[in-house]
This record gives sequence, C-alpha cells and structure tokens, in this order.
Amino acid sequence: MSLISLNNVCKYYEMGNQTVKALDNINLTIEKNEYIAFTGSSGSGKSTMMNILGCLDKPTTGEYFLNQKKVSLLSQDELSEIRNKEIGFIFQSFNLLSRASALHNVMLPLVYKGIRLEERKRLALESLSKVNLIDRASHIPSELSGGQRQRVAIARALVTNPSILLADEPTGNLDTQTTKDIMALFDQLHSDGQTIIMVTHEEEIAKHCHRVVRLSDGKVLEDYLNPTSKSYLNREDTANV
Amino acid sequence: MFSFIESFRSAISSIRAHGFRSFLTTLGIIIGVASTIAVVSVIQGLSFSINKQFEGLGSNSISIRSHTSRNESFKGKISRITDNDLNAIKRNSSGIAFITPQLGSTVGGTNAIQYQGRQSFAQVAGSTHNYQNVQNIDLKLGRFISYSDNQTRRKVVVIGHELIEDLELPKNPLGEFINYAGEWLKIIGVAEPKGSFFGFSQDNFAILPYNTMKGLNGNLQRPDIFVQLQLKDIAQLELIKERLTRILRREHRLKSNEENDFKIETPEQLTSGISAIIDTMTIVLGGIVSISLIVGGIGIMNIMLVSVTERTREIGICKAIGAKRHHILLQFLIEAIVLSLFGGVIGIILGYGLGLLASASIPGFPPANVPLWAIGLAFGFSAFVGILFGILPAAKAANLDPIDALRYE
Repeated sequence: MSLISLNNVCKYYEMGNQTVKALDNINLTIEKNEYIAFTGSSGSGKSTMMNILGCLDKPTTGEYFLNQKKVSLLSQDELSEIRNKEIGFIFQSFNLLSRASALHNVMLPLVYKGIRLEERKRLALESLSKVNLIDRASHIPSELSGGQRQRVAIARALVTNPSILLADEPTGNLDTQTTKDIMALFDQLHSDGQTIIMVTHEEEIAKHCHRVVRLSDGKVLEDYLNPTSKSYLNREDTANV
Repeated sequence: MFSFIESFRSAISSIRAHGFRSFLTTLGIIIGVASTIAVVSVIQGLSFSINKQFEGLGSNSISIRSHTSRNESFKGKISRITDNDLNAIKRNSSGIAFITPQLGSTVGGTNAIQYQGRQSFAQVAGSTHNYQNVQNIDLKLGRFISYSDNQTRRKVVVIGHELIEDLELPKNPLGEFINYAGEWLKIIGVAEPKGSFFGFSQDNFAILPYNTMKGLNGNLQRPDIFVQLQLKDIAQLELIKERLTRILRREHRLKSNEENDFKIETPEQLTSGISAIIDTMTIVLGGIVSISLIVGGIGIMNIMLVSVTERTREIGICKAIGAKRHHILLQFLIEAIVLSLFGGVIGIILGYGLGLLASASIPGFPPANVPLWAIGLAFGFSAFVGILFGILPAAKAANLDPIDALRYE
C-alpha cells in the first residue's frame, strides 16, 4: 500500500450561505521516497491540501490513509500524535519559538513524544548536525539569519524521524542564494531516502521535485513526472492522470 | 508525571521570559496574601497576649459584680453589691479560700491624688491583703496592705510605679504622704512596673485598705463592691457558683421571675468572651482582605488571557509539531499556579513583616503572631486562586485550532 492515499477527498468551507469547495474530489497516492510539489495559484487549494496531508485538518468527505492508518476518523489528540510521529513541518515563516534556543526548538517535538531530557538533547544535536548548525545550537532565532532559521526548522522537522517532510513555501522568505542552499539540503535529504512533500507557487522550486501536482479550483489540473529534476525517479506508474 | 514535569519546565521558562510582567501579575496576589497575613497576625498577637494576661488571674477564682440590666437602668434602678451581700457570702464561705472585696471611690466621682501641688488620676481602690495574691502584684519597695491595716483603718496606701513619676515623688517615696479625697495617706509600698495592656497603663493605681476606703466614702452613697473569690478546689466551681447565686438573690429579695442583678464570672468566661470577639474579628477582617485575593486572581486570569492571545501562534506551532490538548492545558495552568504560589510566598513574608511593623509602631500593642494555619490557608488559597482563574485561559489555549493558531498574526 502507498504511504499516502487520498480517496475522493473533499473539503468544503461555509462562507455565509455560500459553500466554497477548497478541495473537490481528490484521488491521489504518494509513495515512499517521493519528492513531490503541489503548485497552483492562490486559492487553488494548495494550503488546504497541505493542512489535510499534515493532519491539521480533516476532510469533509472522503478517506485519507497515511501509513495504512485511516486518519480521517481520528480525534484532535490522535491527530496530534500522528503529526508528532509521522510528519515534519517546515513553514514559510519558519515558526520557531522566538525565546527558545535552536537546540530547545529542535528538542520540542521530542517533549511531546515523551522522551527524556538527555536523550532529547542527543537526538536534537544529531539533527542539528545534519543541517550543519551544530555550532549555533545555543543561539535564539533572532540571532540567526533567515537561512539558518529555516535550517533549524528543518532540523526540528527531522528530529522525530518522520515518514514525511511537509514543507509549505519553504523558501518564500529567503533570498536567492539561501534558497539555493536550502533546496540543495532538501535534495540531499531526498537522496538519503526522505519523503518530501512541498507546497509552492514558484516554478523554480517545483523543478527540484521529481513529481509535480498542479491544482486549480480544488481539482488536480496536472500530475506529471519532471524529467529535468536532478533527483528524477523512474516511476511512471505514479503519474495517474 | 512526565508531561507534568515538562509542563512545569516550560511554565517556568515562560515566567522567566516575561519577568517584569510576571511580577506585576502576581502583585495582586502578593498584596492580597500580605494583607491577610498582616491582619491575622496582628489580631492573633492580640489574642495571644490577652490570654496570657488572663492566665495571671488564676483559673480557680470567681468574681462577682453588680449588673444593671438595660430595662432596670431605664427605670432608674442601679444594682449594687453591698456590705450585707459581702457578709452573707462570708457566712457561707465553705470551699472558698479568700474573699477579696474591692471598693472604688464614690467621693465626688474623682480619683485625683495630690502631692505638693501636683495631681494624678489613678485607679484608686480599697481592698484587703489578699488583693496582692489575686492580682499578682510584686512589690519593689516596702510592704503590701496587711490584715491589721484593714482592721484598724490605717491611712496607708500602696502605689503603682507610674505615680512616682506623675507626682514627682522622691525615688524612694516610702513614708511620704499623698492626699486623696481630703485625707493624707502614707505610702507604705511601691509595686514593680507591669507595663501596659491595650495601651492602658497597668502601673497607674493606688490601693488602700478596704475599710479605710469605706470610711473615706462615708455614708453619702451605698457602696458597690466588686468581689473576687479564690476557691479551694476548682471542681466545686459550679456548686459554689450556684450557692452564691442563691445567697445573692435572697439578699436582693429577687422574685423568681426577676433576672439576676449581679454577675458571677469565671476567668474562662472572660477569656472565652474575648476569644469569641477576636475570632469574629479575625473572620470579618480576614474575609474583607481576602477579597483582594480574588481581585488578584482576576488579575492573573486577565494577564493569562492576554498571554494566550499573544502566544496563539506559539500554541499553533506546538500543536502542529505534536502537542496534545493536555500539554497546552497543563502548561498554562501550571504557569498560573506557579505565579499565584510565588505571589503567596512573597505575600506571606511581606505580610509577616507588615504585621511586625504594625505591632511595633502602635505603642502598647502586643507583638504579631502568625499561626501556621494562616500560612497554610494563605498558601492554599493562592494555589486555589491560581487553579480557579488559570482554568479559563488554559482551556482557551488548549482548545485553539492549530490551523487558525498558525495563521494568527
């Protein structure tokens, strides 16, 4: 079975007496070690897709299986646990705790996992070394550059050893050079075997991914393999549209 | 337990991160607890010292005084304990060790004592040699009134220490004569200073022999005697009390439907009466100042609510990376409780200090005394306030939707 499978997933929002279809009957599967980008203009349903995949939100109708677990039936607290174990979030605005050091930020998901302090520290330092930030462990976010902050966020996402990295416009707040560095890091993580799902409106970023899903008005407009991707994977079967 | 420790850790770090604000938040609790403790400590100090004073009276003594009820006084009747009553008691004195009558002055209603053109207003009473034992009077100079002083109506007086200063008597005033109610009385003894009680001096008295006082008062008015009785055996207290009541009712010719026109009191009665007043005072004043604790709690709730709003995004991040409801709930609840308890501890210290200061700065006031129950109560109450007023903000934080919280600017 696939790592992720969405069956007839719909998400509706009530706006006054009008119903907005943010996601309209989506069918999609994502395999392990895929490097996939969701693109589309604003209002296309990218963010809703990200919230559903990230278990932050539940679909109105339809089924979502993550690692063979039917996520669409779980309670808020069970979703928290899934997010903690299965998903590593990376946000556009980094979303680090401003008054905690890089190390403490990276340690935070392990607190909710119930891991003891010494072990937390060890795992967090290991994760920070993966993103080459071990020497900045004691700095608070305001003492770090944008690229460094995003790397702390990536370290935080990686520390629980999640099934998926879920990145929402990860380079949206970064300059060109830093964008290159961060994307190189993603490429690296992918080649190490990490499954990466990215939401972006930048074509340049999408080009790094081996598979691109273009959304429009809550529907899948295109779903194609990207032959130019450096990390191209020969998996024709996933392009199911 | 694990999540409790972790929540405690993050609550502490959040309090430290907003040090000044946390202090301001706890200020309400600090003031509330401090004022409660200060009030309770002063009142308890008072009660402590009153109880100590009454211990001196001796627990096996009974006092008899006249009592004019409100109704009687409207009719112009004034009750008295007279010599006849005293004699009747003396005739039925089995079980009684000493009878000590005390007679106040009825001469012109003044208690002025004069010496070489100076005068002082002291408590003047006539009594017998037993008075020294009953009132625990230690003599600094000379002797107390003797049995024969009373029998022969000698014009002698024992004075309190303060009179020496007031009248500018010589350092050793024995043998000097002071004038009271037109008679010259020879000073035969000076009492050791006792200090003051409730701001009233206890060294401002003059005691003359009972019969001398009777003579000075003359025949113009019937005297009203205050009698103290020392019992041989405390077990007979109720029995003797009943007997005295019977004797006095007969002497006063009271009909069976009339109330007693006298009061027979035991020291326990006096202390328990005062204790009741003090307990009521403690509850009322404690209650009033503990309102400020509730106000302090509302202050905490207010700041915590602001803090939840301010940290909405942070809560969203925590939830996104796996925090469950109880993680967030515990963190904010513990933060509120820690703030209140912190305020409670500072408040107890401050309140104790205030109590000491208040007792020290009011002359003649007994030292403050903080009972353990008050500390426990203040501590428990501030924890309770923390839980009570922390629940609402904590629940608000725990129930935030992660998507909305992450989007919050």
